[in-house]
Amino acid sequence: MEIIIPILVLGTLGLLFGLGLGIASRKFCVSTDPHLQKIISCLPGANCGACGMPGCMAFAQSLLKGEISLDRCRVVEEQSRRKLAEVLGIKLSSQLKQVAILHCSGGNRVKDRFQYNGLKDCVAVNLLLHGQKECVYGCLGFGTCQRACPFNAISMSESGLPVIDAERCRACGKCVEVCPKNLLTLAPVTSNIYVACSSHDLGRDTRTVCSVGCIACRRCEKVCPVDAIHVIDNLAVIDIDKCTACGECKKVCPTGCIRDNKFNIQEG
Amino acid sequence: MDAGTILSIIIGMVFINNFVLSKFLGLCPFLGVSRQIKPAVSMGLAVIFVMTLSALLTWLVYRFVLVPLNLIYLRTIVFILVIASFVQFVEMVVLKKSPALYRALGIYLPLITTNCAVLGVTVLNINEFFVNGKPISASFTLSLMQSFFAGVGFTLALLLMSGIRERLDLVDVPRHFSGIPIAFIVASLMSLAFMGFNGFRF
Repeated sequence: MEIIIPILVLGTLGLLFGLGLGIASRKFCVSTDPHLQKIISCLPGANCGACGMPGCMAFAQSLLKGEISLDRCRVVEEQSRRKLAEVLGIKLSSQLKQVAILHCSGGNRVKDRFQYNGLKDCVAVNLLLHGQKECVYGCLGFGTCQRACPFNAISMSESGLPVIDAERCRACGKCVEVCPKNLLTLAPVTSNIYVACSSHDLGRDTRTVCSVGCIACRRCEKVCPVDAIHVIDNLAVIDIDKCTACGECKKVCPTGCIRDNKFNIQEG
Repeated sequence: MDAGTILSIIIGMVFINNFVLSKFLGLCPFLGVSRQIKPAVSMGLAVIFVMTLSALLTWLVYRFVLVPLNLIYLRTIVFILVIASFVQFVEMVVLKKSPALYRALGIYLPLITTNCAVLGVTVLNINEFFVNGKPISASFTLSLMQSFFAGVGFTLALLLMSGIRERLDLVDVPRHFSGIPIAFIVASLMSLAFMGFNGFRF
């Protein structure tokens, strides 16, 4: 008896509360908008915040209310975007998929100016005399962009440079923000010629520290049939709007810093 | 019940035996929700609300179920059951009846479900206002009042902490201390300060 009464009492209490909660959940159930569930299931759910809203849930709510444009989410995949447009009953504006590209190809080819034993972080080392590399414009190679990427699209290669997986990259812009050397930019997948150097040093100075830097020889400028590439402040810059990706500049570049970004993604 | 008793409960619960800074109960929300003033106040209000009503329910359960059946030793587990179910229920009702209030308190209610400060105050009520299983005079009112002001004390601690932490964000804290570590240090200093209230005796 001594054991049965407590068991009964506790059991009854549990049962009562359980039933009560069960009934209450029926009675007070709030019907959530089925559209909202659909929208949330289509969104990437990474809560990257690139749209400016605090997370995907908030973005979905604003989307449903029509307060925000679907284009604000740069991260969502093409397939899901179509589905979202269907759910929302809006027409899809054409938007090209973008990916991050790296404007440096130095990596291990560039020697260190000093031995750095501090925190393994690009931002930290950049605070110290603009980084340990001989080239003050180049990639420091400590992988801050890799850690910032919410989609695991960036990996550090053996040559000490980040490699961007174009398929995983959703162009959220996190890496662009964190890179202390501003080496990363977002470009539409179609513009597949880019200058893999950011050095504004004189050609001869660039040459002494890096074998693959832009030496501002202007050969690309002369050969370009559409006048899309110009050397500005000792660095070749491509005007994406004009560039037809013919590849002429790439052929003549003596250091090979003009590159073909081989995106193997089909344009959506 | 005279004015002196009431005053001693108020001062006692808010300052001398402050749940967070003297009894060290409910430290999880104290550090978790004290980043900004606004959520801290919302959390405090939610705790006051839940504490008072939990005290009401647990007092009734203790008085009319546990004592007559001689099951006083089941107190803790039964109270946890009561509080958890009650918080869940409140969450549902608030969601249905007042979505605005839910948005303000909603995320804090589940946090309160397992908040030891709530259990602490209900157990304290039983310890103080029952003698040998019999309620002392005005035991019910005293319990409610004690719980309410325990909640007020909790809110006060949270409010002070959030005020300090908002300013801490603007200060150049050494890298390895920034965030939670410095919050712990601040909490311990505040706790030391609150120990000064121990000198008050009624």
